[in-house]
Amino acid sequence: MAAKAGKEPVPRVSMPLDPPFAWSVGNWIEHFFDGMKEGKIRASKCPSCGRVYLPPRMICERCFSRADDWVELPVTGTVRACTKASVKVAENGDMVDLESPEIIAMVQHDGADTCIAGRLEADDASIGMKVEAVLNPKAENALDLLAGYRPAG
Amino acid sequence: MDKEVAIVGYAQTPYVADFNESREMMVLQATRAVLENAGIKREELDTIVTANNDYLDGRTISNMRLVEPAGSWRKNESKVEMDGAFAMLYAVTRILSGDHDIALVLGESQASVYAGILPGIMMLDPTFDRQRWLLNEVSAAALQASAYMDASGVSEDQISGVAAKNLDNASRNPVAMRSIAGADAKKVKASRPLYSPITELMMAPQCDGACALVLASGKAAARFEKPVWIKGLGFAHDSYLTERPLDTMSSLKMAADSCYSQAGIEDASSQVDLAEVYERFAHEELMAYEALGFCEPMKGGAFFDSGATKMDGKLPVNASGGALGANVECAAGLARVIEAAMQIRGEAGDHQVQGVKTAVAHGQSGICAQENMVYVLGGE
Ligand SMILES: [Zn+2]
Repeated sequence: MAAKAGKEPVPRVSMPLDPPFAWSVGNWIEHFFDGMKEGKIRASKCPSCGRVYLPPRMICERCFSRADDWVELPVTGTVRACTKASVKVAENGDMVDLESPEIIAMVQHDGADTCIAGRLEADDASIGMKVEAVLNPKAENALDLLAGYRPAG
Repeated sequence: MDKEVAIVGYAQTPYVADFNESREMMVLQATRAVLENAGIKREELDTIVTANNDYLDGRTISNMRLVEPAGSWRKNESKVEMDGAFAMLYAVTRILSGDHDIALVLGESQASVYAGILPGIMMLDPTFDRQRWLLNEVSAAALQASAYMDASGVSEDQISGVAAKNLDNASRNPVAMRSIAGADAKKVKASRPLYSPITELMMAPQCDGACALVLASGKAAARFEKPVWIKGLGFAHDSYLTERPLDTMSSLKMAADSCYSQAGIEDASSQVDLAEVYERFAHEELMAYEALGFCEPMKGGAFFDSGATKMDGKLPVNASGGALGANVECAAGLARVIEAAMQIRGEAGDHQVQGVKTAVAHGQSGICAQENMVYVLGGE
């Protein structure tokens, strides 16, 4: 009932737009970015339950309150999940093979209750591994301030 | 919620890589088929809820121009931007309101239209994760799998085994897109590596298709043959993926607990005859066994090894092949409900399991199964 065998493909048209969105990252992420320019890891903390959010979140979902206390955390943390990527996503949405695999890890910084996903510069990784953040305070793009992670020590 | 809402008709188009027809004609095919299956006319529909998604369709108001093929011209009509299993929840509540007796629920999308896995990246936090280009639906699922394997001891071989089971089951399902009769775990494990432990055959394939069902109120269901009753339903959502433990599907457990209490299920492993689970990745089926109460927490691997979830096991899971056989965004969870209903009605053909009286169906939305929906269905 679907495409009949031998039927010519129907013509296609493409979207002529590349709509440019630009989000405000909010004061919390801005404060996090500004901290990394000074080599600091800043996390937000819920004044009501003490939960520490990194990346910083504005609102504690558990308490329905503003998470507007701030704490400075160490660059060290623990791998909570990790994967060896054999592919990356191309701009057209296809998964294309990487020349050499890379590690992506979910890292919980010491003192934080949540995780950051980042690239881990290591040949192999395992859950429970101790790692440290590699900061790039001179990065032009704020998203590159946190370059990634490497094994601690 | 005994005998308040029933499924009285269902239909699925074939699931294919490219339907090679417009979305409108694909939906018309599903709508006409479901009305014929239920034995009703368009005029008898009181309310229509579709599941589709603006960023999959590349237009806002993605139900626009579906009014005609979904039969909803000048009718009460709405949509849900999630899986069709959630659209069904919306339709059930409309019937329970007492304002409507007959509802059409339809889920659809066309992977041939959108750009690979980019739509999944649009689900990420746009102030940090999205632009960093590390997380996507597959890498996130791989992180979930690694956390689950570490906590439970489940192996890559067991995860591969789940995919092999479902791909083999899909070979008996005429609407599945991808199937491998006699598939073995070795072949799955050796398929193209994506993000470890996930290989290509452990990931549900994106495809085109539509599915639909007709719901009737208890009163209206009397005139239909073989109504399948919704005995219970439950839904729950969880935190964003970096802010929750990834080794457990806790929101699926919350959804199941709430559903089971309505349905009077105290021990799912003995009271459920069959389940259809929306496994976007093979390891999620093992995690779902635990969350759905089929086995103890962290024992999903052993439960799979026992053979219980095979076609001839005591609790077959995804006799249809599940989403690993065909994964149409916005439809694959609703398809699980349809497959469960077909099993209860004894109409599943070559993948029919004998003696199914009570079945569980599961739908999910979001990265790493952030939202979950569970139904318990039963016959007379
Ligand atoms: Zn709090």
